[in-house]
Amino acid sequence: MSGAIGKPTPYIDAVQKVTGQAMYADDFKFPNMLYVRFLRSTESHAKIKSLNVTEVEASSGVVAVITGKDIPQPFGVLSISRDETAMAIEKVRYQGEIVAAVAAETIEAAEAAVKRFRVEYEPIKEFYTPEDSLKTCESHEQIHPHTKDHKNIHKTAELRFNEPEKELETAKHKQTGNFKFAGVTHGFTEPHSAVAMWNGDETLTVISATQVPHYLHKNLSKVLGLPLHKIQVKKPVLGGGFGGKSDPFPHEMIVSYLAMKTKRPVKCTFSREEVFITHHGRHPTEIAMSISCDDDGKLTALDTDIIIDGGAFGSFGVVTSYYNGVLLQGPYKLDKFGFRTRRTYTNKHQCGAMRGHGAVNPRYAVETLLDMMAHDMKMDPCDLREKNFLSEHSSTVGEFRITSNGIRDCIAAVRKKSDWDNRYGKLPFGRGLGVACGFFISGSALPILWNRYPQTVVHAKLDFDGRIVMFSGASEIGQGSDTMLVQIAAEELGIPMDFVQVEVADTKTTPVDLGSYSSRVTFMVGNAAKTAASNVRSEMAKAIAKEKDVSAESLIFKNGRIFTKDKSLDISWEEGVEMAMAGRGAFVESGFYISPKLGGKFKGAGAGLSPSYSFGAFISEVEVNPKTGETNVKKVWGAHDCGKALNPLAVEGQIEGSIHMGLGQVMSEEMRYNNGQQMNANFFDYRIPSSLDTPDMDVTIIESNDPEGPYGAKEAGEGPIHPVLPSIGNAVFDAVGIRMMELPITPDKVLKKLKETA
Amino acid sequence: MEYYHSPDTIQDAFSIAEKCDGNFIYFAGGTDVQIYRKQNLDKNDHIIDLSSIHDLNSISLKDGNLTLGAMTSLGDIITSNKIQNKYPLLVEAAKSVATPVIRKTATIGGNILVRNRCTFYNQSQEWRNGVGSCLRDVGDICQVTGGKNDCYSRNVSDTAAALIALNAEITLLNSAGVSQQPLKDIFLPCGIKFHDLGNDNILTQISVSMKPKRWWYKKLRLRKTLDFTSLTVAATIDNNNIARICLNGVSMTPILIEEPLETLTLENLIKQARKNCKTVDNDLMPLKYRREMINVFLEEWWEYEHRK
Repeated sequence: MSGAIGKPTPYIDAVQKVTGQAMYADDFKFPNMLYVRFLRSTESHAKIKSLNVTEVEASSGVVAVITGKDIPQPFGVLSISRDETAMAIEKVRYQGEIVAAVAAETIEAAEAAVKRFRVEYEPIKEFYTPEDSLKTCESHEQIHPHTKDHKNIHKTAELRFNEPEKELETAKHKQTGNFKFAGVTHGFTEPHSAVAMWNGDETLTVISATQVPHYLHKNLSKVLGLPLHKIQVKKPVLGGGFGGKSDPFPHEMIVSYLAMKTKRPVKCTFSREEVFITHHGRHPTEIAMSISCDDDGKLTALDTDIIIDGGAFGSFGVVTSYYNGVLLQGPYKLDKFGFRTRRTYTNKHQCGAMRGHGAVNPRYAVETLLDMMAHDMKMDPCDLREKNFLSEHSSTVGEFRITSNGIRDCIAAVRKKSDWDNRYGKLPFGRGLGVACGFFISGSALPILWNRYPQTVVHAKLDFDGRIVMFSGASEIGQGSDTMLVQIAAEELGIPMDFVQVEVADTKTTPVDLGSYSSRVTFMVGNAAKTAASNVRSEMAKAIAKEKDVSAESLIFKNGRIFTKDKSLDISWEEGVEMAMAGRGAFVESGFYISPKLGGKFKGAGAGLSPSYSFGAFISEVEVNPKTGETNVKKVWGAHDCGKALNPLAVEGQIEGSIHMGLGQVMSEEMRYNNGQQMNANFFDYRIPSSLDTPDMDVTIIESNDPEGPYGAKEAGEGPIHPVLPSIGNAVFDAVGIRMMELPITPDKVLKKLKETA
Repeated sequence: MEYYHSPDTIQDAFSIAEKCDGNFIYFAGGTDVQIYRKQNLDKNDHIIDLSSIHDLNSISLKDGNLTLGAMTSLGDIITSNKIQNKYPLLVEAAKSVATPVIRKTATIGGNILVRNRCTFYNQSQEWRNGVGSCLRDVGDICQVTGGKNDCYSRNVSDTAAALIALNAEITLLNSAGVSQQPLKDIFLPCGIKFHDLGNDNILTQISVSMKPKRWWYKKLRLRKTLDFTSLTVAATIDNNNIARICLNGVSMTPILIEEPLETLTLENLIKQARKNCKTVDNDLMPLKYRREMINVFLEEWWEYEHRK
């Protein structure tokens, strides 16, 4: 690589963000704009007996008041669980659910009006835990009418290969554990915000803080009954997503409906408490898991039964249910493997996709069991893992195609850097090291909504000014996708990055992309961008070759010049542009990415399929105070195989971000509830680790050069989170000899365990 | 009348207060009060901001006696060489409050008088509407204990714990004049009315004359910064070998145990602490653990005090 690829590159929007110039959804203001506030349910599960809006409508400054019946069409990110409406109709299913909305001339007027709703509820039996939801109930007590057998089970996902249960029955070396994980939320900086406008040409424009303009576009069309071609969704600068902005949301439907109704721009921005209520974060999870291995430490079977607490609605839950199981198929080779995941509806905030989607909690379980196995078999935990790694260019039992795989380099790097071989098991009481590995999809090979078009298309436009504009529907959410588009075009065309600009995430002007989720953008959009830019190069080369009578293939594009190897032709980029446009003018070239056909033919075979997988190994060092139970994570060494770091600065940032986010879930973060009401719906009581709680980090980027990734690249945004949590849990064991089977590892739990084992 | 007042003198503050007829709140740094206002827990119409009043933020050390203006920021206390040298316990306590950014604005007076906290009270109006009842807010049932009489919200002032262990006195000004009293005496064992200063007093000064021979400080919290205390213990030994151990975050008031070191036993100390702390399940850290930590912290202090 001679150009921009592989060089640590600050994000192209970095200056704009740090100077406060970046325009987030809430920064957009339009003449005559209305502001929306919501009446939210104070009950967890109740019939709406009556809802009187008379006083609200008469309230000063109020322009429109709407309730559930105004927008009755259900929606959801997955077509198989469209179980949510924009506002509650007839009944509420969680505390904080939107019951009615007010659009007023000012925020204050809307807030004052909301207080004047008169609402009466008739309580229905509440289901706060999966345990409650798994039991049969009266049909009128069901959270949703569509669940079967009078239970509140949303989805049961199950796959079994080669009877693992039989192997486990007779296995000589077996480990079993019951694990419990609190729910956690994304904690992104920017709250949800959306502005909708009904335009003069009878089209709708929605500017929203979303990771998935495409899915919002499709759901808006369905809910509002408006043809797709009349809807434009634009994603402005976004202040973090982590999966929490990857569903279409009620507030987006509401502002759009109100814009159509009032013919005025309508805006809604959440308070932080509303962000917590909206949630869609990681499911609270209970896992029973068993693994077995032979005398050599080779894994022989894994079987697990998982219950995830989905909250009141479906969201990504069906995918989450599968990911909890199928993403256990790596990074270790397993021939006998089975799982069952049951996702229950409960009367709490709904859960959905969050960084490392579905696989973080089971990863903790299996890595803990492996550590227990190594300990019992008196093997080094790194050695045990190394015996079991999947090899590159292989296949898993569930027919995932493994291409590049740098896991051995990953574990070797952290093993060496942490001085594992000299220090593991030898540190004084209270201090310990732990290891864990992980793997993750590099984009889902299948789209969420079935279609026949590619997963992404990128257009590259060249005009007289010599500028390349990359048009992509991909959503920059802080992961660096805009910068990646620029780097790739600059690399392909041999021009400085400042010749390239982007137009992104606007469903009217940019070609469709499915969105920023499942770590798909670098792999899929990167490939499409590469093709689009190289097509521009081919077109230019053809024109120059014709005019200068050289072969197009002999032309080299580098350092802003176009030349032949012998320099008999050596022209500037601008001269090349002029030749390319002669008699033709500005032109656009396209590139697309479509995943190869992958996977088996059995039901559920599509879950977790990816054109490529990332791998990683992490080692953590902790200090535990045996008197107070306080655990201090001192250092984390992380090595992640991202195929090829297109932007090493971004990859490093993603790994560090994963360490910090993983640290939060393992040490202190937790959605705390009391009878369906969240006790810590603010950044003060929801305890994201501070800079003082964050350990030293040592990041190693491993490049396995994937054969199908753009320049060899794979994902780096989600995979690195998985090993963080269990490496810390395993380090606690090395420090004080206790197995933490419940997250977060708060001091009270550590102390309790220490007392139990004393 | 405007709702925000910024008097230049204490006399002006009193006259504005009189006009507001009780419908106001004093504002020192405002870092905590702002949240109460946002959450509609403070419903007063008027704010009297004391930050423009002169001479309330001086630090002086004369003949070994420390005098702090009540409006001195926690940040200034931490960086003061005088306090670092003579009263490191106070520096440690101030450092353990909130974060550097908040400490630049938060004042020592404000922190001493910080409002008591409870997981069911310190929530938004919408959240509280969902619960419906709280003795300190609306309704007649406490969500924590199910009781109808007593509120057990916690005093969470770290600096109060340190200053009480340092036997500090405070200076109050009201329309009748100046008065002084030991800091420890202003607190009331009630989660709703947790001190007896009332609106007619302004805390102007904190003074410390004790020169501790030894001191010890520890704060329990989940994160290393920002969090309010789940248990703070500040302890001193003075020249007469009197031990002053002050616990906070575990009861409606700071709990002071004052006894000659010679007669104090660990067993008795823990017994007194556990008896006097009305600790209930009103913090996100589990109750049982917080109670256990009272023992652990006091044992740790004891070990420190009796180290060879």
